[in-house]
Amino acid sequence: MSLVLSVDHEYKTTIEKAWTYLTDPSKLAKWVLENDFKAVEGHRFQFRAEPNEYWDGVINGEVLLVDEPNKLSYTWAVGEEKHTVTWTLHDLGNGKVNLHLEQTGFSNVHGLEGARYGWGNWTSQLEKLLAQ
Amino acid sequence: MNESKGVRDAFDAIADPTRRRLIRLLAEEEEVPLHELTAQFDMGRTAVSKHLTILKEAGLVVDRKVGRETRFRLNAVPLREVQDWVAFYSKFWRTNMFRLEQLLEEEEE
Repeated sequence: MSLVLSVDHEYKTTIEKAWTYLTDPSKLAKWVLENDFKAVEGHRFQFRAEPNEYWDGVINGEVLLVDEPNKLSYTWAVGEEKHTVTWTLHDLGNGKVNLHLEQTGFSNVHGLEGARYGWGNWTSQLEKLLAQ
Repeated sequence: MNESKGVRDAFDAIADPTRRRLIRLLAEEEEVPLHELTAQFDMGRTAVSKHLTILKEAGLVVDRKVGRETRFRLNAVPLREVQDWVAFYSKFWRTNMFRLEQLLEEEEE
């Protein structure tokens, strides 16, 4: 089944600069988490969050795709839950770049928790339902 | 184990378009009798019943007998749980992506 979380954000920057923030470990640490990331396909890395009593804070990843400066994809595994995170960069011109995030692979490991559905109207219907 | 809950994964239950439509129909009203639900579909009563059973097994639908008819209502709680995990990552990335915007602005200065 296809469950997709999708987020877009527009930045005033160049596509090259945005790319460094997605791939340079020290820059990545400033807005995501501490890591030993390298933009090399097959590279295994970790994001490290604050550990708590339920979780060691480790997110395990493997780089799946590097298409500089357009697309970057890696796995994002926490415990038995293994997701794929894909970043797509679009140069909008006029010094603007759109960053598109897709996170897929949500399963039922945590009971019934999961992702936003890529099912068009269904999403808004669900939100309406949940707002009741 | 409670037979009306947790037997079936809610993801599986809502994977089917007929069942999503059933949920939408049930969301519009407090309680709907089977024949009214059946009237909304091209398929027969038995087929609709089967879909309702699957929703029931996932804890998404509750039924009760009133005289000779069975009435169904929606139980949205499992859907809320589905939403929680989404909400977590959605918030996580939105917050981080906003932070990135600030970082890029700082760099400009």
